[in-house]
Amino acid sequence: MRGIVYLRRYWQLYALLVLPLAYFFIFRYSPMWGVQIAFKDFNFFQGITGSKWIGMDAFREVFHMQDFYRTLRNTLMLNLLDLIVSFPAPLLLAVMLFEARPMWFKRLSQTILYIPHFISWVIIGGIVYQLFGTQSGMINNLLDRLGLDAVPFLTDKTWWLVIYLLTGVWQSAGWGTILYLAAMTGINRELFEAAEVDGAGRFKRIWHITLPGVKTTIVTLLIINLGNMMTIGFDRPFVIGNKAVLDYSDVLSTFVYRTGLESGQYTLATVVGLFQAVVGLIFVLSANFASKKLTDEGIL
Amino acid sequence: MAASKFKLAKPASFSLAALIAASVALAGCSSDSNGSSANGGSAASGSSASASGSSAAPSGKQATLKVELFDRGNSPQPYTITDSYLTKYIQDHFGTPNNIKMEFVPVPRSEELNKLNVLMASGGDVPDIVFTYDSGTFYRYAQQGGLTDVTDLVNQYGSNLKAFLGDDTLAYGQLDGKQYAIPGKRSITGKYASFIRKDWLDKLGMKEPTTTDELYDALKAFKEKDPGGTGGKVIPFGMTIAPAEVDPLIWSFIQPTTDEQKYTLTQKLGSNDYPTLLPGFKDAMQFFNKLYNEGLISKDFGLDEDKKQLGQDVQNGLVGFFTEDYPNPYYADGSYANLLKNVSTAKIDAIDPFTNSEGTHAKPAYDSNGMYIMIPKTSKHAAEAVKYLDWMSQTDNMVALQNGVEGENYTMQDGIPVVKEDAPTDVTNRVYNFGDIAILANGKFAGDDEKNKQAFVAGFPSQFQADVRKALDISDTDTFKPISFGHPIDAESKYGTALQDKYDQIIVKSAMAKPADFEKAYEAALKDYMQSGGQAILDERTKAYQAMQSK
Repeated sequence: MRGIVYLRRYWQLYALLVLPLAYFFIFRYSPMWGVQIAFKDFNFFQGITGSKWIGMDAFREVFHMQDFYRTLRNTLMLNLLDLIVSFPAPLLLAVMLFEARPMWFKRLSQTILYIPHFISWVIIGGIVYQLFGTQSGMINNLLDRLGLDAVPFLTDKTWWLVIYLLTGVWQSAGWGTILYLAAMTGINRELFEAAEVDGAGRFKRIWHITLPGVKTTIVTLLIINLGNMMTIGFDRPFVIGNKAVLDYSDVLSTFVYRTGLESGQYTLATVVGLFQAVVGLIFVLSANFASKKLTDEGIL
Repeated sequence: MAASKFKLAKPASFSLAALIAASVALAGCSSDSNGSSANGGSAASGSSASASGSSAAPSGKQATLKVELFDRGNSPQPYTITDSYLTKYIQDHFGTPNNIKMEFVPVPRSEELNKLNVLMASGGDVPDIVFTYDSGTFYRYAQQGGLTDVTDLVNQYGSNLKAFLGDDTLAYGQLDGKQYAIPGKRSITGKYASFIRKDWLDKLGMKEPTTTDELYDALKAFKEKDPGGTGGKVIPFGMTIAPAEVDPLIWSFIQPTTDEQKYTLTQKLGSNDYPTLLPGFKDAMQFFNKLYNEGLISKDFGLDEDKKQLGQDVQNGLVGFFTEDYPNPYYADGSYANLLKNVSTAKIDAIDPFTNSEGTHAKPAYDSNGMYIMIPKTSKHAAEAVKYLDWMSQTDNMVALQNGVEGENYTMQDGIPVVKEDAPTDVTNRVYNFGDIAILANGKFAGDDEKNKQAFVAGFPSQFQADVRKALDISDTDTFKPISFGHPIDAESKYGTALQDKYDQIIVKSAMAKPADFEKAYEAALKDYMQSGGQAILDERTKAYQAMQSK
């Protein structure tokens, strides 16, 4: 009886939930049905249910592939370096923006910083090529004019890594400030005023008020980033990478693309995808566990 | 506290169940509406297309024949990809007389393979005629039982088709003695020619190189004397990492091989044969290394996979020599035409300099087959599909599909359709996608080999026609065909795409190493290649060769 009263009163709110729930059910959960392809000799004329079970054979095959370990190593390496280089960048930027006083300057620089986020990697790849090419790149043309030797920015492994990481910062740092800035504006202004009265300088205020104020945000973003350790975007390594640095630029997502979509080895591609998901989950859970132990903050 | 929690929880769980039920219903709904809208859409477009024909159509139930069609996003006004002069022509001349409604299913050219996989997996919605260039995909479909065996249908309805293709070409579509695909036919099988800046040679007082050594001397002279006045930007040998640039050079270093070596040591990755393990490959890499370190080839060749940079460099008059698919420089808006706009005195001449140890200009050619045209197992109109292909294979129909309207688009001269260059755009637009519509043909067909070549050349701007012919004949000199076992090599379909990258990597690393480090770089890259599937392919091909010999 009370349930009916409750429902009658709040049904609109639940009705609002229908669409998002349906979305998750249709697009997030029902595709998981296909995970079983990893354990089947998938033949798409017979469909998923019609295909033969092969147990763990496909896993054995993937774990014997040299390319799998190389792409796994590269994925972890690129993500780890990216975390070290790209993670602090938006925080630093946000602190600087937050400290900047003139409103018009804040607005303007924020907008300028966001723009790279909306440029597709294909276009960024083109820009990178125009800037850093050995034969006709702008930088090397400049070096040439100064009488210096050309630097193989895109074909030397180490240089390529630097370019890869810096384009990542360039593309995402501005956008990453949004969350930090939102958290910073949420900090009670009186804290700053009190600190100022007590004679705290700018760096003291940043260290003792601003940063602790966004601690939760930092931890949350770190956990999310760690959870994504195993997944790597497809377009960035695919577009920025090239044949000369394939040893470094070939990652799990390009590997899945090649085996799954290009060679039609759906079973193997699904195995790699499943492996990624499981390890990714372990990463999130352990990062969350560690963070709860260390800071009492977590996302679960 | 607990009680209130309970009270809250119960209705919540109840409504959750309701929600799940609702969302399931919604899911059903959405897939349903998708289906009906797709049907509705096709019915609508179909009815408008067949409106003119339906009145004249003979009685009896009309069949709908669905045919895949590459969409390159270049349909000119007022046409659309599914409603153009050619689709109407086919409806009027084949569809309506046979009481068949033609329906073309557009597939974006660049996503062709992915899209085809999705279509095939969808079962009922797949077109009755699909196709691909990728032999691995064809073999996979055939082995997994997804294709109609058309052996009997071709015998019954395809007499013109058989005459057009010939047994040699038909054999490419067979697996275990059954005809699972109808291969298209290639009118011209040559691939590559080499091109040199004749005006540069003249300036230096040099003659056109006829051997690899002479070519090397010319490249050296281009580099040192810069006859084009590029201000140090000269690229003596325009290089990329695409087959058209690396193949002619590499294959000229391959030593004479026995039949056994040819079968076992060649590696077929994707649709091309690769010489990775053939004797002489290392010498080719050594030569690459020399060219790179002496600054004779493009420094960024390893980044240029789509030949875009090469095209720009040629057009800007920086490149002295390059190899290409033989007709590529000569198209109406191609690199030669653009080069002439930038450097009016430029002259590109087709030559054939790469020479192997036997003194011939050995180079790869295409098989005589084109696309694999397939009829999915789920198709209910296999007979109509074969009839359609049979209709297309008749010379008159083929000429009409490839050239348009006689007197307006082309004139017949000695049995060869010659495209009218002065035809207005709206007339030439009629056949804007003839290559994609006439799926049985790769290149123009006019009757026999010589006529095909003449018809092909006649399609180019008149100022280049003599050059195209010369390049075509070069591409056809001393050629050899791909090696085929007549059945797929499993390791090749498994590792093929990955190994293509590894192969490119061998070239890039060998070329870019310092001369002293060449040996190390080459061996390391080759080892990686072998471990990533090269060895597996070698083993399987060796076994397949032994099986072939013992038969």
